[in-house]
Amino acid sequence: MTTLIRCFVAILLLGSVYTTAEEARLGQDIEAVKRSVLELNQQLYALEEDLLSPATTRAAFYFSLSHGEFFEPLSIEIKASGMQPVQHIYTERQVTALRMGAVQPLAQLNMGPGKHDLHVLVRGVDQLGQQRQLVIREQVEKTEQPLMLEVVVSDQPELSSAKAQLQRW
Amino acid sequence: MGHIVRFVLLIALALPLQAQPTISPGQLLPDFSLPAVNGFGQRLAEQRGQAVMLIWLGDCDACHEQLAAYQLLAEGRINEGLVSWFVWTPAAGQQPPNMRLPVLISQPRWRTGWAFEPRPAVMLINADGVLDHLILGDLDDNYSRVEQRLSRWLTKNNQ
Repeated sequence: MTTLIRCFVAILLLGSVYTTAEEARLGQDIEAVKRSVLELNQQLYALEEDLLSPATTRAAFYFSLSHGEFFEPLSIEIKASGMQPVQHIYTERQVTALRMGAVQPLAQLNMGPGKHDLHVLVRGVDQLGQQRQLVIREQVEKTEQPLMLEVVVSDQPELSSAKAQLQRW
Repeated sequence: MGHIVRFVLLIALALPLQAQPTISPGQLLPDFSLPAVNGFGQRLAEQRGQAVMLIWLGDCDACHEQLAAYQLLAEGRINEGLVSWFVWTPAAGQQPPNMRLPVLISQPRWRTGWAFEPRPAVMLINADGVLDHLILGDLDDNYSRVEQRLSRWLTKNNQ
């Protein structure tokens, strides 16, 4: 009887060891599959980006605020022929981040090669709380390379004012 | 000819359906960013973790006097973590209300926002961004209802 019980316990133990080893192997397999899926996902994402937004049409807009003593942005609109207008409304938290040196990725879009008349309108308030608009009208050329543009609003302390400029990356 | 008439009727029936509110209590509200007439713009997603009261104004031309009670109600609940915004939809020649609380501008030109019909309406949005209460109808008529519901809602949320 005792032998039978011993045998039964031994089978149970063996079974549990086998199950643990099996579970560990299964866990490793699942991890490997997960890694493969992630890698495949990354490759698909890159492929999708290349197909939907190839370098020849890829354009990106960024926004930054230098000091911001004489101008506080409330909203920005960017328009150009052949592209969807870009709009953004600034919250207090976002302006605080910009003042601390953050560069905001505004939009990533497609723009056909060639010359484009760009119209940037930054609405905001000056240091006296008066409504102000900073405007940029500039012709930019989209080549076969991606176009990266940063709208920089910087203070002009000598004029107690601020200006908006376009910078290429 | 019959097909054309049917088609026109179908479109005529579908149009008012589109204008119906698709927002109902229990629903996670879509995010929006709207400019304000009195300061920084506001983004709904930034208020996650806070209770939000959105007061959608109806026909409002410098209607600040009518909104004074709501402003006091909202300001009295700031300590309980309530964030309150008025949402004003401008019509030709109308002036915005002059309030201490943010008055957001809802206009189709701002693609970062969405409009709500029917107005006026009061929305109570919980800390997860879900619409808990939607009170439709005239703001004056509904004041007591809003006050009671807001009080109960905040007490429950803060427990």
